[in-house]
Amino acid sequence: MLQDKTIGNRIFDITNYTLLILIGLICVLPFVYVLAVSFTSPAEVAKGGLILWPKEWSLASYRYIFSTDTLFRSMLVSIYITVVGTFINLLFTSLMAYPLAKATLRGRQFILLAVLFTMLFGGGMIPTYFVVKAMGLTNSLWSLMIPNAISAFNLIVLKNFFQQIPDGLEDSARIDGCTDVGVLFRIVLPLSMPAMATFGLFYAVGHWNQFFSAILYINDSRLYPIQVLLRQIVILAQGSIGDTSIDNVEIQPLTIRMAVIVFATVPILLVYPFLQKHFAKGVMLGSVKG
Amino acid sequence: MKQNVSISAGLPGTKAPRGKADTLLRDIIRDKWLYLMLLPGIIYFIIFKYVPMYGVSMAFMDYKPYTGFLGSPWVGFKHFERFFSEPQFGMLFRNTVILAVYNLVFFFPMPIILSLMLNEVRRAKFKNFVQTLIYIPHFVSWVVVVGIFYILLTTENGILNELLYQITGRKIAFLLEAEWFRTMIITQSIWKEIGWGTVIFLAALAGVDLQQYEAARIDGASRWRQLWHITLPAIRSTIIILFILRLGNFLDSGFEHIFLMITPTNREVGEVFDTYVYTKGMTQGQYSYSSAVGLFKSAVGLVLVLGSNWLAKKFGEEGVY
Amino acid sequence: MKMNVCRGIGILMLTAVLAGCGPVDGSKAKSSGPDRFYLSIGATLIGELPPNNNAVEKAIEAYTNTDLQIEWIPMSAYDDKQRLMIAAGELPKLVKLAYTPDYISTIKAGQFWELGPMLKDYAHLSVLDSQYYSNISVEGRIYGIPIVRDLGRATIQYRKDWFDRLGLKVPVTLEDWYTVVHAMTLEDPDGNGKQDTYGMVLDKRYNQDVSSMLTRISVSQGGPNKWLVEDNQFIPEFLTEPFFETMKLFRRLYTEKLINSDFIVVDNNEASKIYDSGRAGIQISGGNAQSWMDKLIKTVPEAEVDVVFLAGPDGNRLPGEPGNAGFFAVPKDSVKTLEEVKQILEFLDKLFDPPMQMVITRGIEDRHWSDSGDYAEILDRTLDLREVKPYRDLLPNLAEYQQSIKPVRQPELYQKNQEIGKMNKEYVVENPALTLESDTYREKGKELEIIIQDAETKFIMGMIDEEGWRAELSRWQEAGGSQMCREYELANRSRAAE
Repeated sequence: MLQDKTIGNRIFDITNYTLLILIGLICVLPFVYVLAVSFTSPAEVAKGGLILWPKEWSLASYRYIFSTDTLFRSMLVSIYITVVGTFINLLFTSLMAYPLAKATLRGRQFILLAVLFTMLFGGGMIPTYFVVKAMGLTNSLWSLMIPNAISAFNLIVLKNFFQQIPDGLEDSARIDGCTDVGVLFRIVLPLSMPAMATFGLFYAVGHWNQFFSAILYINDSRLYPIQVLLRQIVILAQGSIGDTSIDNVEIQPLTIRMAVIVFATVPILLVYPFLQKHFAKGVMLGSVKG
Repeated sequence: MKQNVSISAGLPGTKAPRGKADTLLRDIIRDKWLYLMLLPGIIYFIIFKYVPMYGVSMAFMDYKPYTGFLGSPWVGFKHFERFFSEPQFGMLFRNTVILAVYNLVFFFPMPIILSLMLNEVRRAKFKNFVQTLIYIPHFVSWVVVVGIFYILLTTENGILNELLYQITGRKIAFLLEAEWFRTMIITQSIWKEIGWGTVIFLAALAGVDLQQYEAARIDGASRWRQLWHITLPAIRSTIIILFILRLGNFLDSGFEHIFLMITPTNREVGEVFDTYVYTKGMTQGQYSYSSAVGLFKSAVGLVLVLGSNWLAKKFGEEGVY
Repeated sequence: MKMNVCRGIGILMLTAVLAGCGPVDGSKAKSSGPDRFYLSIGATLIGELPPNNNAVEKAIEAYTNTDLQIEWIPMSAYDDKQRLMIAAGELPKLVKLAYTPDYISTIKAGQFWELGPMLKDYAHLSVLDSQYYSNISVEGRIYGIPIVRDLGRATIQYRKDWFDRLGLKVPVTLEDWYTVVHAMTLEDPDGNGKQDTYGMVLDKRYNQDVSSMLTRISVSQGGPNKWLVEDNQFIPEFLTEPFFETMKLFRRLYTEKLINSDFIVVDNNEASKIYDSGRAGIQISGGNAQSWMDKLIKTVPEAEVDVVFLAGPDGNRLPGEPGNAGFFAVPKDSVKTLEEVKQILEFLDKLFDPPMQMVITRGIEDRHWSDSGDYAEILDRTLDLREVKPYRDLLPNLAEYQQSIKPVRQPELYQKNQEIGKMNKEYVVENPALTLESDTYREKGKELEIIIQDAETKFIMGMIDEEGWRAELSRWQEAGGSQMCREYELANRSRAAE
């Protein structure tokens, strides 16, 4: 009986591990391709086909993109809005999600419904622009952080996470003289590190990928984040959006486009591995509380 | 809203109305800190979400940027009528809904399954490594994903198609044939987003008490039973919430992705509301028309969200609100 | 925990400092004389962002005595941004517009200054070929200064070495085209013993817009450019004989596997890759054959490319193109006085002065190019791409047409292509509907186009036969095609009456 179970377990584990390795490989493939092309010489790429390892190494693409400070500057802009923006997001979202997680709060349902409503209906680009302008945010980087300070989706899901924290812990803190604000910052947030890491990641990636609002709200091209330039170099080259006047523009070779993708993606890719330890931490705390 | 109802209700057999108002006041005073915490968020939603909401009126006007909201003429339901009476409306509706259902059935569960698989991995290093790999495609833009699929699947020296040819002696025009279109779209979506989708479930799973597994093992529960009785319940409410919220954008198909995949040969199954509105707007900015289509999509989303939330609550779940 | 907080604050401070380096208020840091004319321009950004305060912009400012504020708006969001600026009344003083129904109706609503009557006061603007102006006129009036491009670009470019080896002649009739493509696909033109070449490769935009392959070949065979006018009847090209014959040619090529079978999913990059790596032999292109040659010899050193006029049995014939990459217009919102309009026109006029044309097309002497006697030598391709190209794309330039501009030393092929491009103007077949208005086109022009383009593709791929094709035609007519023809007829008649 016992023997049987371990054999079953082993088969399960082996299948599971194999599948996961396979999925991991398939998922990493596109990025390996991008990476490989960016390091390959243009002549080699011109021959076509799937390149997963550079046959002829070349740093020409990187030399090209590093020969100007435009990309660096927009990278700094992106890092700035991502770090500061995410901080604002987490602060505002958790401040709002915590009270909404309290089933006894009066008016809670109404507020949640009102928040949900904004997920479905929006005023559109032009009225939103007028609001952003009236708040004096246009042409500054705040226009990329304040108008999206809280995502309704993240708020609702975070509220759901908060609800699963047992009340006992909070009550004991309250007896010790903490206010609700104190409970949130001293008890609930430290217990919710996995959730905070998750939503921090969601927000950070959201900020990192912003390009449309940057073009709309910012006139000074020196303040454009990296995604604007990335799309400028990558998407346009594909000629997918019909426009006759770009019929004949010189487009950057694939190698340079891929190098720009690598340059613009690697920083945000590094965020997740860094956050992973917080996921583990949540597990440990979780076991203590039980 | 709720308190208003309770004040006016005053049904016989319950406490006197006055007493209820008193408890309301007492509750508010008790929760004063909570309300204070809500305040910044409420102000945010009012200013940035509710103030611009007047823009919805665009759907009922013939809006032009230079005449603005005050100067554009009201036309009532003209744009809706036009939309519903388009000869292609039936096709667009069918394509959009089928794709949306495919997404819910085939795409939505994938990250959950993968999270459960990852959760069974006991070696933290391996788990972290796989997690890091699988979330990478999320950052690759659709243009690149579609480009890679082209390299793999095209009938002219496409790598997988060549392989297929070696084995079966024939090629399949995956990218051209209408019957493959939806499969391609869903496959690409899964490839790009499956890993990203696991992040939230892994966060939910991080809260599971490991001692529960320990206890279950001592009781001799098999891994399937552990999965069923410990793991799944831990993420059940997250799954339900995500499902309900997903229904809110039921009719959104992901414009960029579909647009890149549509060809003359698969348009009859590929054209959806989003791509259609884009084509409409190419010759003239059809602000009001696309706004009307957007409103229609939102209304459908609202009905689905309210309905599914009601259902979830009926089955004793927390739901969204 | 404490460590983390400290680190977090550290990162915050660091980024705050970094962000402090860049101007956040958007104010200009440029030094400009107080008497300089301040001019803001809404510009499309096609490639990369030019560096701040670069030499080209400074030179333009100095010569025209302006204080330029160019807002580089990425192409992908240009129209949206433009709409916002119109709605918010924040347009710059000079904006680049495209000749599309959306902007035309904005112009008709009186949002921009009419410039036509004023042009005579400006030495360069007044002598610009009238075709350029009439191609952007709205109801017969001129509201903009065109960003001039060639009026007809199409040329036949082919692998001369392959042609010589197989003893082929440049195609004139449709049968010739078949022969040439057939030979280069099946007779191993590169002599590597493998059947791995194509005569011709199409991409998914093969039948779209001005560079439509079908239109180009059909015009060369005597067909109309998009529309045929007969007794003031507007007949779309796809109802004419030469066009249908052209389609049949491609259907034959497709069925016999002489062109790439996956063309409807191939983007133009992939298609050029096939040409550039020496796997395809002939194309009709609006670009310069030299750039094909340059890329080609990297993989096939012995390759040779030649370029000739697009011609059919009746001699040289090619479709005319709009001759602009958009135009500059002056919004009434931001420019209130006639005085200021004139100042702006003066600025634009000055851009046509030879020294300015040199700066716009070549950049600054000894930075971007150097004088080597009869020729200008480009010093640094990367610098040229980065600092000069954005202005070359944005501002009006007559490039090689002005004798006063020192030509860049270019290979013979380049010059030949250039020469053909100049002479093409004589053989152009105009699109008679280019500046005519039609409500149906405005409302569903693109949908109608898609019906026909899809049908063309399906016909070529053999998914529908002639009967099916006719069914699609009547679908087009019922969906608004006939209506559109009538509207064009009406518009044409009232224009003739004027």
